[in-house]
Amino acid sequence: MTDELEWVRRLRRDAGMPEGFLERERSKLMAHVTGTVQSPPPGTPQIVPQLPYENVPAAVDFLERAFGFREREEARIEHAGGVHTEMVLGAGVIMLGGPGGHGTFPPKGGGNPSLHLTVYVDDVEAHFVRARDAGATIVSEPEDRFWGDRCYEAIDLEGHRWRFHQHTGRRFAFDGE
Amino acid sequence: MTSASDAELIAQSLPDPEAFGGLFDRHAPALLGYLVRRVGRATAEGLLGEVFRIAFEARDRFDPSRRSALPWLYGIASNLLLKHHRTEGRRLRATARLAHEPAPETGLEERASARSILLQVAVAIEDLPGEERSVLLLHAWEGLPYPAIAEALEIPVGTVRSRLHRARGRLRERIERVGKEETESAACPTGDAHDR
Repeated sequence: MTDELEWVRRLRRDAGMPEGFLERERSKLMAHVTGTVQSPPPGTPQIVPQLPYENVPAAVDFLERAFGFREREEARIEHAGGVHTEMVLGAGVIMLGGPGGHGTFPPKGGGNPSLHLTVYVDDVEAHFVRARDAGATIVSEPEDRFWGDRCYEAIDLEGHRWRFHQHTGRRFAFDGE
Repeated sequence: MTSASDAELIAQSLPDPEAFGGLFDRHAPALLGYLVRRVGRATAEGLLGEVFRIAFEARDRFDPSRRSALPWLYGIASNLLLKHHRTEGRRLRATARLAHEPAPETGLEERASARSILLQVAVAIEDLPGEERSVLLLHAWEGLPYPAIAEALEIPVGTVRSRLHRARGRLRERIERVGKEETESAACPTGDAHDR
């Protein structure tokens, strides 16, 4: 007969945090306690792309399932014009907002695809399988590139174009293509 | 890492706030583990900073006779977690569903019954009054001794014991009910014990 505390212990589940999380939290805390204001705020890189989506919550769900991003829930703002939020992958950050904000539109809604996002991941093959299975439109499968990266390209649910890279260090001569 | 005690670090941080960083280095990993276990990664991420900001603002009220600040920090965290009861419930139920299968030689029926007990235990923990839930999980998951739990929740050790006793009783009741229902449905020729 299993003791009730044994059942409780079986419900104990851990989960790892992204690399660098504690360091970022520490610097946020230090900024708070010393009253220093940092710009950009700790945890935010100097350049942050913002992508427009017609349906931001659906995009958040897709980017989590397909590409492994995680929403910074505390950054979510819901206002009359729609939802604005941030998502992170490692130390990278993107912002998501509604169509027409800052004059940009998702390619799906007739916007110009003027941006192509380069994202480094740890295991590009596994990432590819995850993205494909989650319904991302695959433009090209993982392949070695001359500058020493292995990459594939995919288009998300509203037409934004992404290229996921893993640096392999296997360089070869540029064949001019 | 400094060899100063927690109380010394806190005293030092009164005129020199940066000394508080030493407390973060020492205890943030344990606190983060606790928060993640109770409410999952996404919510824990926001709460960790809040625990330390609250602790910093309240540092002049820390009792310097205490050897470790960890129970105090666990207490602040437990208090904040009360507001995330729904998230906690969802996580418990998800864990019950994800739980590792028992050894493969275990019979199908036994496995199904282990899963239904786990789910009932998850729901029972979710249904506990907040203060009993904290006592139970600080004890069962974090392995804190009773005096540390008492310090964390600012209650006498006797109250820790009685809350834990009550919480365990409620869980046992729920587990026994599962066992009874299964026996009943096994005895009934049209019942299907696995379909509930």
